[in-house]
Amino acid sequence: MKFVVCMKQVPMASELPWDPKTRTLRRDLAEGMMNPACKQALELALGLGQKEGAQVTAITMGPPMAEEILREAIAMGAHRGLLITDPALAGSDTYATSFTLARAIEIFCPDFDLILTGCHTTDSETAQVGPQLAEELGIASAAYVDEVTVEGGTARLRRVSDGFLETLEIDLPCLVTVNTTNRSPRYVPLSGLEDAFGEVNILSVGVADLGIDPALVGADGSPTRIVDVTAPRSGKENVVLTGAPKKIVEELLERFESRISGLIRQDIRKSDAR
Amino acid sequence: MPAQRPEIWVFGDYRNYFQNRVTLQLLSRATDLAEKRGALVCATVFGWDTGEWVGEYIAHGARKVYLVEDRRLGRYSCDLYVGLMERLARRYRPEIILVGATSFGREFAPRVAKRLKTGLTADCVGLDIDENGLLVQTAPAFGGNLLTRIVTPQKRPQMATVRPGVFREIPHDHGATGEIVRIDFPEDMPPDRVRLVSSERTLPVPRHLGNAEIVVCGGRGMGSKGRFRNLYELARLLGGEVGATRPAVYARWADEDALVGQADKHIRPKVLFSFGISGAIQHTAGIVDAGFIIAVNKNPKAAMMKMADVAIVADAHQVCLALIKEFKKRLRA
Amino acid sequence: MRLDPCMKHKLVRKAVREFAEAELGPIAHDIDRDARFPWEVVEKMRPLNFFGLQVSRDFGGAGLDSISYAIAVEEISRISGAMGLCVTVHNSVGAYPIERFGTEDQKRRFLPRLASGESIGAFCLTEANAGSDASGVETIAVDAGECFVLNGTKIFVTNGGVCSLPLVFAVSDPSDPTGSSCVFVVEKTMPGFSVGEMEDLCGMRANPVSSIFLEDVRVPRENLIGGIGDGTKIALATLDTGRIGIAAQAVGIAQAAFEAAVKYSKERQQFKRPISSFQSIQNMIADMAVSIDAARLLVYRVCAVRDAGGRFGKEAAMAKLYASTICSEVASKAVQIHGGYGYSKEYDVERYFRDAKVTEIYEGTSEIQRMVISRWVLSESM
Repeated sequence: MKFVVCMKQVPMASELPWDPKTRTLRRDLAEGMMNPACKQALELALGLGQKEGAQVTAITMGPPMAEEILREAIAMGAHRGLLITDPALAGSDTYATSFTLARAIEIFCPDFDLILTGCHTTDSETAQVGPQLAEELGIASAAYVDEVTVEGGTARLRRVSDGFLETLEIDLPCLVTVNTTNRSPRYVPLSGLEDAFGEVNILSVGVADLGIDPALVGADGSPTRIVDVTAPRSGKENVVLTGAPKKIVEELLERFESRISGLIRQDIRKSDAR
Repeated sequence: MPAQRPEIWVFGDYRNYFQNRVTLQLLSRATDLAEKRGALVCATVFGWDTGEWVGEYIAHGARKVYLVEDRRLGRYSCDLYVGLMERLARRYRPEIILVGATSFGREFAPRVAKRLKTGLTADCVGLDIDENGLLVQTAPAFGGNLLTRIVTPQKRPQMATVRPGVFREIPHDHGATGEIVRIDFPEDMPPDRVRLVSSERTLPVPRHLGNAEIVVCGGRGMGSKGRFRNLYELARLLGGEVGATRPAVYARWADEDALVGQADKHIRPKVLFSFGISGAIQHTAGIVDAGFIIAVNKNPKAAMMKMADVAIVADAHQVCLALIKEFKKRLRA
Repeated sequence: MRLDPCMKHKLVRKAVREFAEAELGPIAHDIDRDARFPWEVVEKMRPLNFFGLQVSRDFGGAGLDSISYAIAVEEISRISGAMGLCVTVHNSVGAYPIERFGTEDQKRRFLPRLASGESIGAFCLTEANAGSDASGVETIAVDAGECFVLNGTKIFVTNGGVCSLPLVFAVSDPSDPTGSSCVFVVEKTMPGFSVGEMEDLCGMRANPVSSIFLEDVRVPRENLIGGIGDGTKIALATLDTGRIGIAAQAVGIAQAAFEAAVKYSKERQQFKRPISSFQSIQNMIADMAVSIDAARLLVYRVCAVRDAGGRFGKEAAMAKLYASTICSEVASKAVQIHGGYGYSKEYDVERYFRDAKVTEIYEGTSEIQRMVISRWVLSESM
């Protein structure tokens, strides 16, 4: 069997520098790490791969320094890594990213059985690349999956989705995005790290290697455009409210609507509200 | 046959209707946007035996409902729903499609956007129309530390998934009317590739102070055990947990488990309500990772008030009661 | 010359930090308070090669370079000095002498057990009347043909209470201590071997430092590392290596104290300002930052020299002397910045303060390091 894990390097710090001129995040300035949900996907792939005797390929798209998470993946047990890196890819939104990943998978692991991705990343938090990658490859997918087993040519999945515990079956090949709950990814064994910097199979490719028209990727190939990025909490405002309690509460909920009104307990039934 | 008036579509996500009000919230926001854009607010409903939802959506602001009713749609299916939405959008060419950011919505919308070769913004907390008539979508990144405003300048429709609870729904209007456009289930629709083996309702996850997204904390300023008890009611309404300072625990207003502070417990709520807490370092050290802090204290100079996003200078007990009243009102609405 | 860490060293740091923060972080305070050795964490450390950091791959180790080793020790010590101590002593003075001076047969018999963490190592040199002076030991090993019969008492043995395969230094002929110094691999299960009470120490309390008693312990000849008379040489070479680990440990403890002080100085308000806005606090923070950086670079340098195959005795002594000195200073300043809270067990800086002091004492006191350094300097300048 052949498993592919798509992963992303995300900045470690929560506060992070972005370039106001280009309106993009300056990923080169932040120390990176493997996105936690991607690590969960890798753990699931490695565990399942050991059972099924599968080859696990880790793929990432990003700046050259994203190679680090491929080394980490290999240290944890992945068999090979593919780094897609090219200045032309800068500014890709999820549409262009999933397009690029799909082309790379078609060339470098066309005979995959299962693709696993993290359900979302801690930086842009879109949760869109996984489902869009499945769409690009024309395969079925399931999002926010907790458990995967493979039997015959079928993947059996468990997930909790909008308050339902679901068991699903999808014929291979398919894609799953992996949830962050209920699983502790293995720690990196130090001997594995030593191996990951020995003779290992990490391939680095650019747009030309994928035979892609550069106009279809990066900022040019992205339907969405970032207008601006702001830090809502750059220094607390410390708004002071005074007056009668009723008035204060009204003002609080009015001015901070987006912060607070979403809180009102979603799963309370109307009858409980009395 | 594109519609004459631009249309804003809201995906009818009717599962968990009483808990999940996001479709109604989106209809409300779409109504505001439609006014600015000169557009028509529409809902799409896919399913079987859906009359109840069609009526609800009209009562909450939809002026037109695209309805596909078929036995094969009797359960939520990402594959089939994506196929239907794609076909409908190609046929009627909506200007905007809004989808609630439920688990289902966040799996469904990306595939729809890909099929329609358009952009999609995830989990928006703000939607507006700019001077060029573009949908400006505000999405959080880095755990809400950054807000990004995003547009889709060329491609249509403009698509966004929207975080539940951001917008307030329009009150139910029994007199509202709307057009219902019935569309037959296309017979050439490819079958669902995902087989649902079983599905059961989950039990609620046990919450505790350490993982709570909302924490209501109380200190000596609450005044008495009886008054402190109201914090539990507020926390219940918010789906949050109650924390307490050392003096409140010593006074036995709260259990030891509720203690928040350096050596005892570190909390990371998205929103922290702090009632009658002066802000001794033992306590504030435990809450440095709180997201949005609302502090209530009679003393505006208290340390807790200085580190709050919103400092309310008033009697903690009175404000607690007013909040309970207001949240109950909203839940009933 | 490159001074920024390479990708591998960055990953080693991230990997060890992730483990230490997740597994040791929540218990570091408690194991210190209770003077408890956390076997449950050791269990998790074993498969990750923490007990065979530099043991070669052939014997089940990770085969890491010295900088990776130092980074690993630093990161564990940043969370728990006592566990950093356990790891560095096990690796540098427990396993290393066997790999360096042992026969193939000895390596095959002992290294896999140590590298897997199945057995924890220790280094039994110090006695009531002997410290860094290996030839001054009074433990005696009488040659009885097939075996040696050991008698003596070792004190302040790090890992003493948990070791099962310690190295024991002895002399076979008290009239010629230098010519007869020797070292044995001793099994905890050998009759006559016993462990004394755990020392009630000021710091490093989670490490079961204890005395070890040897009463007519019959140790097979095959367990003699090197030959009779090699003990002093092995001890000195081993201590050079051990000093790298202690220097790395000191950097880790200093780093923890520094981070706590910086965080606290930004939170703590006095005169309506965070105390970090006061120049006196800023001066302390600047001095701490510089000294930690300098110490870390000294540690990396000795590691680089060692990995290049050079003699590193002077560099090791310099790194150990400087890192341990600034570790105490930084921890003391961190307590000072915390004020009264820093003196309280409620805050971790109090633990760092206690843990820091001993880095100036064990593996050769600062006075011994100065002696070593000056000897090198004076002989080099001839």
